[in-house]
Amino acid sequence: MSEATYQEPRWDEVNRDVLATMLNTGPRYWWLLGISITVALVCFFGPWAYQLYVGVGAAGMNRSAVWGTYLSNFIFWIGLSHSGTLLSAVLHITQSDWRKAIYRSAEAMTLFSLMTAAFFVMVHVGRVWFVHWSAPIPNEMDLWPNFRSPLMFDVMAITTYLTASSIFIYMGSVPDFAAVRDASTGMRRRLYTIFSFGWRGTAKEWHTLGWAYTFFAVFVIPLAVSVHSIVSWDFAMSIVPGLHHTIFAPYFVCGAIYSGTAGIVTVMFIIRKYLNFERYIREIHLDNLGKLLVVLSLIWTYINIMEVFTTWYGGSSFEMEALKWRLTGFYAPLYWEMILFCAAVPLLMLSKKIRCNWKYMLIISILINIGMLTERFIIVATSLPRKFLPDSYGFYFPSGVEISITIGSFAIFTTLFLIFVKWVPSVSIYEVKETLKPLKRGSVEARS
Amino acid sequence: MSIVEKYKKYRKAGYFDKFDYHWGMTIDLDRCTGCEACVVACTAENNLPIVGEENYRLKREIKWLRIERYWDGDYPDAKLNFIPILCQQCDQAPCETPCPVGATYHNQDGLNTQIYNRCIGTRTCAVYCPYEVRYFNWFTYKWDAPLEQQLNPDVSVREKGVMEKCTFCIQRIRDAKDTAKDEDRRRVRDGEVKPACVQSCATEALVFGDLNDPDAKVSKLYKDKRGYKVLEELNTAPSVVYLKKVKAHV
Amino acid sequence: MSDINRRDFLKFVGAGGVGAGAGFYLADASKKTVEYLIPQVVPPEDYVPGVASWYNTVCTQCDAACGISVRTKEGRAKKIEGNANHPVNQGGLCARGQAGLNALYNPDRVRTPLLLEGGRYREISWDRALTELGRRISSLRIQNQIDKVSVLSNTQSGHIGELLDRFIQLLGTDHYAQYSVTAPHAIQEANRISFGEPTLPYYDIANADVVVSFGADYLGTWLSPVHYSKAYGKLRQGRDHRGTTVQFESRMSLTGANADEWHAPNPGSEGLLAMAMANVVSRSSAVADAGAWSQSLSAYAPSRVAEQIGIDADKIEAVANAFASGNGLALAGGSALAGTNGVAVQVAVNVLNYLGGAIGREGGVIFNSDGPASKAASFAQLTEFAQQLGDRGTEVLMLLDANPVYDLPQSAGFSAAIENVPFVVSVNSFLDESSAMADLVLPLDTYLEAWSDASPNPGVGFSVSSIAQPVVQRVFDTKSLGDIVLGLSAQIGSELPIELPWTSAEEYLRGVWLDNYLAAEPGGNEKSFETFWRSVLSAGVVGQRPASVGGANVSLNSSATSGMDFGVGDFSGSESERPFVFQPYESVMMGVGRTANSPWLQETPDPLTSIVYGSWVELNPATAKELGIREGDLLEVASDSGTLTAPAFLYPGIRPDVIAMPMGQGHTEYGRYAKDRGVSPTRILSDLTDSRTGALATAATRVSISKTGERHGLIKNDGITRTLGRQILGPHSGGH
Ligand SMILES: Nc1nc2c(c(=O)[nH]1)N[C@H]1C(S)=C(S)[C@@H](COP(=O)(O)OP(=O)(O)OC[C@H]3O[C@@H](n4cnc5c(=O)[nH]c(N)nc54)[C@H](O)[C@@H]3O)O[C@H]1N2
Ligand SMILES: Nc1nc2c(c(=O)[nH]1)N[C@H]1C(S)=C(S)[C@@H](COP(=O)(O)OP(=O)(O)OC[C@H]3O[C@@H](n4cnc5c(=O)[nH]c(N)nc54)[C@H](O)[C@@H]3O)O[C@H]1N2
Ligand code: SF4
Ligand code: SF4
Ligand code: SF4
Ligand code: SF4
Ligand code: SF4
Repeated sequence: MSEATYQEPRWDEVNRDVLATMLNTGPRYWWLLGISITVALVCFFGPWAYQLYVGVGAAGMNRSAVWGTYLSNFIFWIGLSHSGTLLSAVLHITQSDWRKAIYRSAEAMTLFSLMTAAFFVMVHVGRVWFVHWSAPIPNEMDLWPNFRSPLMFDVMAITTYLTASSIFIYMGSVPDFAAVRDASTGMRRRLYTIFSFGWRGTAKEWHTLGWAYTFFAVFVIPLAVSVHSIVSWDFAMSIVPGLHHTIFAPYFVCGAIYSGTAGIVTVMFIIRKYLNFERYIREIHLDNLGKLLVVLSLIWTYINIMEVFTTWYGGSSFEMEALKWRLTGFYAPLYWEMILFCAAVPLLMLSKKIRCNWKYMLIISILINIGMLTERFIIVATSLPRKFLPDSYGFYFPSGVEISITIGSFAIFTTLFLIFVKWVPSVSIYEVKETLKPLKRGSVEARS
Repeated sequence: MSIVEKYKKYRKAGYFDKFDYHWGMTIDLDRCTGCEACVVACTAENNLPIVGEENYRLKREIKWLRIERYWDGDYPDAKLNFIPILCQQCDQAPCETPCPVGATYHNQDGLNTQIYNRCIGTRTCAVYCPYEVRYFNWFTYKWDAPLEQQLNPDVSVREKGVMEKCTFCIQRIRDAKDTAKDEDRRRVRDGEVKPACVQSCATEALVFGDLNDPDAKVSKLYKDKRGYKVLEELNTAPSVVYLKKVKAHV
Repeated sequence: MSDINRRDFLKFVGAGGVGAGAGFYLADASKKTVEYLIPQVVPPEDYVPGVASWYNTVCTQCDAACGISVRTKEGRAKKIEGNANHPVNQGGLCARGQAGLNALYNPDRVRTPLLLEGGRYREISWDRALTELGRRISSLRIQNQIDKVSVLSNTQSGHIGELLDRFIQLLGTDHYAQYSVTAPHAIQEANRISFGEPTLPYYDIANADVVVSFGADYLGTWLSPVHYSKAYGKLRQGRDHRGTTVQFESRMSLTGANADEWHAPNPGSEGLLAMAMANVVSRSSAVADAGAWSQSLSAYAPSRVAEQIGIDADKIEAVANAFASGNGLALAGGSALAGTNGVAVQVAVNVLNYLGGAIGREGGVIFNSDGPASKAASFAQLTEFAQQLGDRGTEVLMLLDANPVYDLPQSAGFSAAIENVPFVVSVNSFLDESSAMADLVLPLDTYLEAWSDASPNPGVGFSVSSIAQPVVQRVFDTKSLGDIVLGLSAQIGSELPIELPWTSAEEYLRGVWLDNYLAAEPGGNEKSFETFWRSVLSAGVVGQRPASVGGANVSLNSSATSGMDFGVGDFSGSESERPFVFQPYESVMMGVGRTANSPWLQETPDPLTSIVYGSWVELNPATAKELGIREGDLLEVASDSGTLTAPAFLYPGIRPDVIAMPMGQGHTEYGRYAKDRGVSPTRILSDLTDSRTGALATAATRVSISKTGERHGLIKNDGITRTLGRQILGPHSGGH
């Protein structure tokens, strides 16, 4: 639909369009869900079960390269989780109206990326059956986690972020749950009655929601920033050449928001196209996100240049060697691919024509995330095998199990998302309405 | 005692100075021939697994002590140098801070200990250790019967998913302390504890002992003018001092 | 004491060890372990679960006979350590010695006697096995065909060796040989020629100032590596001034890697090199006949022969001068003695030592005087032995802990000869290549389960003996060699059981020691012997340090060098077609193949290459570059006698015209850890022998190499073996 012929939806159309995505389910959905679950089972849970049985040796890791794709994927998914809630919160506080059509699915993305990331923690550790020991759970042994450990911070930060994000998305959905309740019958009606906490839409309720929502928006922003800073400390607090960089926290946060924003573009494209949200998700969104991406790309590029510069300027033999290997070694093609996808290609979005083109933007957003996936891999795969003692230098290449689990993780994410769109309105009904022309009192629409 | 009280007690000033012992080692590179006897001795003493050919190919070997080789120059002036690398029992061990469950920590004897039962296998400690002396159990390894009859009952056999490393043969230290206690001695005598590698080494390149004892052989060698610590610049404060090889000609 | 014959030695042990009260080992050691006297043959009632018991015995993983203390708990052997009181290893132990437990508890041990029936091995009882064998032998004996019984054994030392000799003598067959792949034929023969002493002397490395080794890997595999390593440690940092070491060899051995200087002379030219050094040394030599020697060595001035040797004359002069001015000690071994001119090389080295005044000097070469002459058959004799198997129509062949099929090149002809013997018996702990061809396999104890005794050879400069005792109960239904010999003679009957009246090896051994003790100790009785015996068992060793250095009166035969060829020797294969000299070497971990079935050793990196699990071909990086070979390329190595394939390893410490390979792998049998792993370089060796001893000249084969096009990744520990400028080896250690 071109912008020229754009007709703003009426209020009742908003309800109808959004609820239709939940209530009308065609075979295409079921196929997609079926495939997605199958892929998750076959590619992720099957190999994982095998790995649980034999040991983490099923992966390609080895001595010196004791971390691999499991950890880099963990970071990737945590990264992808940024933007969603963070962006939503920032835009809410800055009262950017264009956020309203997209934030719900963006926040959902946060949630599901975090969950997928959590899976990678499980897959990564050697004895997942004891993973709860890393949480401060009172126990008869009176043993506590090590509070100095960045991994321990991770556990705390991610759990908090996950909790806060869940509450944030849930809270924002309450009026919409009420809308679902009102539009449905039977079992579903009873369920959404519970979900909506008996929302009636009174002025007091609106007031409380608005206040609480803003509170959470403010609360979530530092949380999101802290999460990826802390994740970066898993690396930066080590003294491993190529990881021990003070710039890592902002680098990771920036990269996270960058990849998250690109992820939103991708998800937006899909939702818009397949859930028929053309009238709600529009070029203005694309335009704004495109601008944001350009800015993020420039920051990201700057940090990358700084990383190389400070290494060179510092001149430590260990760091230089690590840098040299990253830029020219076995995985150099991946490094330059990352630079191409994350630093060069995004500059195309300086052109409004490209920025406002759904297809181009889809491709660019996917390329950015491929670049970001690679970035995480490179950080792990080029640093660990070559630390301080050259005689212990090794090499790492992911095994079939790892590659399969990586593919499977996308299926987990997709599955969760597919389930989500049937349970929660993926576009915020009431907030979209806020952006439309005000209603005339007593009109038919006002009753919807 | 509440957690807070315990924590305060633990952090009491001087806690780290009150080590009973400070176990240390010197490795004389002018004596060491790189013969690898110590490597097999450690394997035998500490129930190190036989990982098998395929795992070795993938660099999943487990050798708490390994000899590193460094060539100097090219033929005909090629020179090969050997350096045994084991856990340096760092007093500021980078491996200890990141363990989320506290499975690796510093004990009162200045040892970097590894609690297999507690380890959940994040491998962070191995990433953080600059000396690459932490070895992970990628699988649960088996001993073909009756090889398991050799296993040392004083040392746990590790399962898959667990990190392991040189312990300075803590079982022997404990044994010597028990003996000292039985004999009403306050301290273990110099030379009473010999880790398996030290015992085996024919050139006597390895010397082990208590650095808190100024008369111990190791304390004297610690101050040798050839002494240095590997990767000292990383400020890990290793307990292992290397004595530099002497370069000579006829 | 120095003129005491080793055979008589045990008689004096009583006098020295107990009577005179000067048995220093005894005195030191009996305090320590006196409570653990009882061997584990019968589990003692007093063992306490959870408390370790230590038993002293002797390592036989190689021929050095180090003393070991085995830690046992609940009747199982847990750890082997060096016996600190033993003068050979003084507490040290090598990798192979550590891995003895892998032999004891090896899953692939022969667990019970096996009889080949219908193409398959059936487990049978010892009774049946010995009856069957005894029946065959005695029927041949009755038919006066005892010469159709042939016996080939691994070298057996000590009194069990004597028991075996006696048994064979009583049996009456004259077709009997013992061998050892590593037997130092050249040294013994050269010492006979040079000094009239066909024995291995004591090399006092600890007290030498300049140790010059011609291919002898004394820190890795040569003769008594743990003892020499002890000495080396002392030479480097255990005394006032640090000794220096120089190594001459085509391929850098472990000793070469540790030497202050390493030089690679032309293969085979080591004799010439030693003569050139002797020439320099003779100018300042203090020995009485130095003048005469100086004359006869005049043709060997470094400037004249340097080119043939491939080392600068200045360098030769410098090393020789250092040798002459300090306490110089020269050694030879490895590939230097493995040419067709091995004896000549050792003679040249003897001349050098003699002129340097090293003979009979502290820090020099000390003749033990009581060292046994070698019983080991040479390769030529073994080939003859195999030939005879057919010629005399051998009916029963007994292989005693011997594996000629693997140990010797094809050209010795053993596999074909064994094939044609109607009844082959192998007495072995493992089903090795030869045992797998046997009709009857008698499972042998490992050394940790058997009684025997041993005196180290080479000795340590004075007389030493050890009793080897079982440290655990037998793991399987096995017997010791002594017990098998006694059991068999009982089955054969006639005068044998009367002549060999003992019921067990233990009883026999005690008997011999008692006899010797009573003969040497006038006031001795069975009761005092009991004390003596227990203290020897407890200490693990008995001996007495002499008042003065022995062998000082040995002098060099003035015609020692006459008729010797100090050229580079002969090589099989033409230089144009086969451009590389092939040098197989004894592996630090695998030896010559006996320890290849140890999983620990398979997983222990080779000290020089860090390679595990397999074989490799070492070549100089420059050669490799020229031929376009990268590490891991599968190479075909071809000699006139055969070809083999193995992956390439680029080794900076080897001459560009030499190819080296470790021995010990390439078993086709021998259990899961050894079987089908790597390749044995012995396979492609020519049958050239040392012209004087008939020993196989393992370094006299020329080969060509070519790429097969395939790759075979080497499994190794090393990442990058350059320090990249990091000060890993110490401050200002340089390197890159
Ligand atoms: N079949 C059978 N079952 C029984 C019994 C029985 O007789 N037969 N007896 C019952 C009785 S009475 C008891 S008390 C229980 C005992 O049951 P458990 O407590 O399970 O006893 P163990 O198996 O003796 O020891 C447990 C583990 O502790 C390890 N261990 C040893 N020392 C240490 C140490 O210093 N630190 C740590 N962290 N670990 C160590 C050991 O290696 C072992 O793996 O079993 C009960 N169950
Ligand atoms: N080596 C070794 N020693 C150990 C342990 C170990 O793990 N290893 N574990 C230790 C531990 S934890 C324990 S609890 C002890 C256990 O040691 P014990 O207390 O000696 O245990 P049991 O062997 O079970 O023997 C108990 C006896 O009580 C008898 N009995 C059974 N029922 C009754 C009854 O109703 N009345 C009476 N009067 N007798 C009864 C049984 O027949 C048996 O003779 O062993 C300790 N000793
Ligand atoms: S045993 Fe001694 S000489 Fe041999 S490698 Fe170990 S430290 Fe070096
Ligand atoms: S050497 Fe490594 S494992 Fe050992 S204490 Fe230091 S950092 Fe930890
Ligand atoms: S691998 Fe084990 S010891 Fe190391 S950090 Fe993880 S939990 Fe701690
Ligand atoms: S001190 Fe003990 S654990 Fe450490 S390397 Fe030596 S033998 Fe192994
Ligand atoms: S040198 Fe090694 S293998 Fe040989 S006897 Fe001594 S310890 Fe045993």
